[in-house]
Amino acid sequence: MKSAWAKRALVVAAAAALAATALAACGSSSSKSGSRELTFFVAIQPGGTIEEVSKRCSEESNGKYTITPEFLPTDASQQREQLVRRLGAEDSSIDIVGMDVIWTGEFANAGWVEEWTGAEKKAATENVFPNVIETASFEGKLYAAPFNTNTQLLWYRKDLVKKPPETWDQMIEQAEGLKEAGTIQVQASRYEGFMVWANALIESAGTQILSGPEEVALKQGPTEEALAVMGKLANSNAAPPSLSTSDEDSARLGFEAGESAFMTNYTFAYASAQAEAPDIGKVMGFARFPEVVAGTPSKPPLGGFNLAVSAFSENKDVAFEAATCLADKDSQKTAVELDGLPPSRSDLYTDKVVTEAYPGFAELVKESIEASGPRPTTPAYQDVSLAVQRSLHPPDKIDPEDTESIFDELKENVEKAVKREGLL
Amino acid sequence: MDQRTNRDYALWTIAIALVVIFALIPVLWLISISLKPPEALTDQRFIPSEVSFDNYKSLFEGGIDESPFIKPLINSIGIALITTAISIVLASFCAYAIARLEFPGKRLILAGALAIAMFPPISTVGPLFDMWRALGLYDTWLGLIIPYLTFSLPLAIYVLVAFFREIPWELEQAAQVDGATPFQAFTKVIVPLAAPGVFTAAILVFIFCWNDFLFAISLTSSDASRTVPAALAFFTGESSFTAPTGSIAAAAVVVTVPIIVFVLIFQRRIVAGLTAGAVKG
Amino acid sequence: MKSERTRSERKLAWMLCAPAVLAMLLVTAYPIVYAVILSLQDVDLRFPDEGGFVGLSNYSAVLTSSLWWTDLFNTVFIMFISVAIELVLGMAIALVMYRAIFGRGVVRTSVLIPYGIITVVAAFAWQFAFSPETGFVNNLPLIADDMDWFGGRFSSFAVIILAEVWKTTPFMALLLLAGLVTIDSQLYEAARVDGATAWQRFTRITLPLMKPAILVALLFRTLDAFRVFDTIFIMTRGALDTESVSILGYNQLISRLNLGLGSAVSVLIFLCVFLIAFVFVRGFGAKVQEGRPGG
Repeated sequence: MKSAWAKRALVVAAAAALAATALAACGSSSSKSGSRELTFFVAIQPGGTIEEVSKRCSEESNGKYTITPEFLPTDASQQREQLVRRLGAEDSSIDIVGMDVIWTGEFANAGWVEEWTGAEKKAATENVFPNVIETASFEGKLYAAPFNTNTQLLWYRKDLVKKPPETWDQMIEQAEGLKEAGTIQVQASRYEGFMVWANALIESAGTQILSGPEEVALKQGPTEEALAVMGKLANSNAAPPSLSTSDEDSARLGFEAGESAFMTNYTFAYASAQAEAPDIGKVMGFARFPEVVAGTPSKPPLGGFNLAVSAFSENKDVAFEAATCLADKDSQKTAVELDGLPPSRSDLYTDKVVTEAYPGFAELVKESIEASGPRPTTPAYQDVSLAVQRSLHPPDKIDPEDTESIFDELKENVEKAVKREGLL
Repeated sequence: MDQRTNRDYALWTIAIALVVIFALIPVLWLISISLKPPEALTDQRFIPSEVSFDNYKSLFEGGIDESPFIKPLINSIGIALITTAISIVLASFCAYAIARLEFPGKRLILAGALAIAMFPPISTVGPLFDMWRALGLYDTWLGLIIPYLTFSLPLAIYVLVAFFREIPWELEQAAQVDGATPFQAFTKVIVPLAAPGVFTAAILVFIFCWNDFLFAISLTSSDASRTVPAALAFFTGESSFTAPTGSIAAAAVVVTVPIIVFVLIFQRRIVAGLTAGAVKG
Repeated sequence: MKSERTRSERKLAWMLCAPAVLAMLLVTAYPIVYAVILSLQDVDLRFPDEGGFVGLSNYSAVLTSSLWWTDLFNTVFIMFISVAIELVLGMAIALVMYRAIFGRGVVRTSVLIPYGIITVVAAFAWQFAFSPETGFVNNLPLIADDMDWFGGRFSSFAVIILAEVWKTTPFMALLLLAGLVTIDSQLYEAARVDGATAWQRFTRITLPLMKPAILVALLFRTLDAFRVFDTIFIMTRGALDTESVSILGYNQLISRLNLGLGSAVSVLIFLCVFLIAFVFVRGFGAKVQEGRPGG
């Protein structure tokens, strides 16, 4: 009886094993003979960079994988909304993620993105600016391959201003003294761009908002100096009429319309002026982001995107390979060529594509990135950003002569935010 | 029978002109923005100094597959029409029952419908996303039609109940006494009286679906089902920092045309019921 | 005999209502219950390992925050003023749509266009128009050239309310028009014969007979006005104390991913709206749910 049973069991088991192998072969034939499909969730770039690099990397894999871009909305916070909804639901349909530099702490802490180690880590960080590597790291570990970075320069009208100002105070003075176009364009609407400005001022003054994922720095002296600059500009005649609702686009529009002689904005501003307002573009000068304290080198803002592998991807091994290709030297060159995005690799700044995209200021961009002051890395970044916005906006409420009470408010709100307390 | 004096015409012309101007100035402003070339965007003029159709061309270039706009437009029209049709049918049945029949739970349904209309949709999006992914309804027409039904039904039901309540139902019986069959009584007497409410509700539901952004952006991921308001979020300017002001304005103008058509057809029906005159005498 | 009729009537009624009820519950039952449960917990999507049941502490965090009360005031302020204006304006426009002696099609269609324009685009168009650098409003006579509409709290409110009124007056006008249409014109004839003035005809005949339409319009418009989001978000992002409770909820739920706090804000918004609806139904005697005795 027993042996008959055993025999039958064996036959069934064998048949099952055979069937399973056959099914498995059917199901994963793509992994053996066909190519694996990787989805790449990233924002659209108008010049077509994403499609181009995806195509190139898919081809170079010799059939191992195909990268399919899945586009996200143009606005960064909407991108995050879409990504977070899926990652929070542990969606396995995402393989590679285009991560804004400010999401690293959040995504890494939540366990949504994979750590980069070993050879891949080396390839991803080869020749990359140290500051940029920091933006892709959390608690000492690398969580993404740096793709493009971004920084702000001071743009000014060469025909109205002989020598560009070195400090914010000088700039305000110069602007107020001009007969026409006597305003300074920044980004001060109540959104992330305002946090970029505030952070750059605070860092340039010599302190930081956070000194660790949960520790608030904000040394009083330097912070108050940064706040004074903000308040001074907002209350001066150099403030454009709609300062408190200005963003990158309205800033460049104001500059291109000839209303402002000064503007702090990202590198796109140059190409935009050449195309939209060539008369202004001809007399557009560039300089480093102004200092807060005379003599202390400024720390320009740092932005950009890094490529991460989703923790819920079913093709992690291949995804790392693909992401490495997507972030490599050639891809970064394509990004500069087609969309004017500054590369995260410092060795590219002498390359022709970069010097053509940034005629005359490629070196300045490199210098700015090297000296930049990144925004804090913390899982509670959104809370901190909201807290800073709420404390400091609108900037004309800051009294440049008496910044103590606003400093107290800022510090208190950031301390609560880092602990994720309260309503924001 | 009143005499239409010149004064009457003049006064009415002024009244009509005021209403139309109030309604259309921002629309004209949108058209103006859409016709301005990028360099002239900040010229602060209401009427553009030079006119360029580039924004409109860019909406349609690439044909049905590549254009950022054509498929979303088709999705919007299809989803809105289907939702409106189903919503009106379901709401009519329910409103008829509530307005005409006695049954327990009438108040409950009305209160429940109101409660659903009152709950902030943003809290429902997260769980809905999870549900739809599990059921395979994500990024489908049905995946949008269902929540649109849910959130348009309360308004449709309330509007229809309010109007059905006003219908003199006795007329149906009176017509039958006069020799009409129940079907004839219903269609010749009741339906024309119900028409204003039904067409009003239809317009409101259609516009609700047309305008929705929250569900459209959260429950879709491709042109398979993305509607126009969500598609606008994917428009880009020349760089990722440049707002696509002109093309968004152009898209908004084009997208209003179906609305105009829909409303033109239906607005007449709202008053048609009265003039059909079955009620009088 | 009668109870049998009643039972079949009930059965018919439930059969007629079932599809609609099902459609409404299917989508919202789980999310609403889930949201309430979340509001009683400390849940942050970014910290999946932390959190747990915390009872009402999310609610107390919200209700003890001055931010909530400021935003509540903002919301009620905008709601109250815009709905009041919309009611009066809507009534006027409905009369024009109904009684115009020519061009009715044109009027009715153009009136509905604002309601059909995509909300975010309309808000953006208004913002663009009022912005000192790009808009035409500051070029109009009587308005300062560099007036920063969005630089002050109440000037921002003015533009926000203007945009809201423009966008949704058609909703009111449409419902009021449909209400006007159902009034028997013979009543007016009789009243005119009796010597009533136009104003008397309006207040004694039109308004009372339009009560159901007015109430439905007011109820739904108020509920929607309370949840204003897009217009404010696009124009000021809630800066300068123009933030509404919906923006507050969005900040907690989506920006901070603090599902517990965000859900608590949502539930509180729901309760406020419920209160408003309650006031309407009781206070104004909205007898919408009472049907006539069945024919």
